[in-house]
Amino acid sequence: MIDAHVLEIQSRFTSGSTGLDAQRLCEICAEVAQMSGAGIMMMSGDVQRGSLCTTNAASALIEELQFSLGEGPCLDAFHEERPVLEPDLANPDDVRWIAFTEAALDAGVGAIFGFPISIGPVKLGALNLYRHEPGGLTAEQHADCLILADIVARSVIMMQAHATPGQLAQEFEAGSDFELAVHQASGMVSSQLSVSVGQALIRMQAHAFGNAMSLRSVASAVIGRELRFDVAERGVR
Amino acid sequence: MSRESLLVATFVELADVLVDEFDVVELLSLLTDRCVAVLDVTAAGLLLADPTGELRVVASSSEAMRTLELFELQSAEGPCYECFHTGEPLANAQLTATDQPWPNFGPRAIASGFLSVTALPMRLRGRTIGALNLFCADSGALSERDLIAAQAFADVATIGLLQHRAVEEAQTVNDQLGAALNSRIVIEQAKGIVAERAGVSMANAFNKLRDHARSHNTRLSELAAQVVAGDVDIGALGLKPTSMPEPRVEQRPSRGTAEA
Repeated sequence: MIDAHVLEIQSRFTSGSTGLDAQRLCEICAEVAQMSGAGIMMMSGDVQRGSLCTTNAASALIEELQFSLGEGPCLDAFHEERPVLEPDLANPDDVRWIAFTEAALDAGVGAIFGFPISIGPVKLGALNLYRHEPGGLTAEQHADCLILADIVARSVIMMQAHATPGQLAQEFEAGSDFELAVHQASGMVSSQLSVSVGQALIRMQAHAFGNAMSLRSVASAVIGRELRFDVAERGVR
Repeated sequence: MSRESLLVATFVELADVLVDEFDVVELLSLLTDRCVAVLDVTAAGLLLADPTGELRVVASSSEAMRTLELFELQSAEGPCYECFHTGEPLANAQLTATDQPWPNFGPRAIASGFLSVTALPMRLRGRTIGALNLFCADSGALSERDLIAAQAFADVATIGLLQHRAVEEAQTVNDQLGAALNSRIVIEQAKGIVAERAGVSMANAFNKLRDHARSHNTRLSELAAQVVAGDVDIGALGLKPTSMPEPRVEQRPSRGTAEA
């Protein structure tokens, strides 16, 4: 069913003076849903492939934390194929994401909502929406978020459908973050340990967790040749 | 079964086919079979446009019907052909009328045993994707009720088909998106492997990979995947391995490690 309200939301995406790209897509989502920030997390299969866009530092951190820790509302929303709502991150009914919650609270996230991005059975990723102040979604907001997730799904597919074969759509370039440094570092660590890049990534995640570092700082230490995984104390300051 | 229960049963059947394990031919064959069973028609056939816009016979309730529809397409005239191009229904055309508009198709249809024909568009929001042909062995007109029911069958099938196509297209694009994302990641992993083995910078590692891919006429992402899989030695890239790694010692995470 297409009603006037859906069309009204849809028109927000098409009325801009400049062409729509992933970054603008994200910004409009945050505006329409009346949130402090938004981000679009891309998955491929069951693997998190990075962030298509984020509106600010906190929404970028929300995406990074989930990539780094492998837990969080958007990952749950994607896997469980349903909205995952945490209206009060500081006082949740049940603590679902221990490591994520602490770091997200530090970044000023009061409430966070993850909505799956999909077209029928085709699963693309999840929309992350957060607000500084705790509090639930109104019924209208909730409905709007579902519409937004649907528009995001169709827009992403439309953008990629026009891309050069084998390449990512241009519209994704401006605000995307595919954690490239982490993948470079996992290549280095896989050489150091003679293990697969997947195993290398897990070792880096373990090191990050064990040393209260972010995965990105572990990666940059590896790339800066300040940290090796094959020698005990060497290079570790 | 009464006509109404037959109608309801048919819609339930059509909806069932739409749910999972969707099969286009199965759906459309069911549609033509039920037209014959429920409506006052002798045969039913269905033509769909292929991606280039050419009509193709997809389902027919009988072999005579299939032959006739193929003939209709070959001679580029006939009710179904016309209905597809105008997007408008064509109800109860009498093939024996002296002014019937199809000089090739008309006589051929009569020879196949049909005296009247109805063609209904498979249409959604201004887009016509095909047409449903209903043939009668007598010249009696299809009732208004039958026409409405037949158009409803065609509409259900149209929605199902378009939805199915939309999902298939989305799946294809999403697969391409996944592949593009993966290749970007694999390239970074390969850069890391080369940078580590040869003790060179990321930029240098990337240049070596790119040059090798170019001179060997390989795509960079393919070469990168080979490097990550351990199938390409860095010697092949014109690089010398560094003296590392030194004897391996498991590193223990130490508290208080400074961040880089």
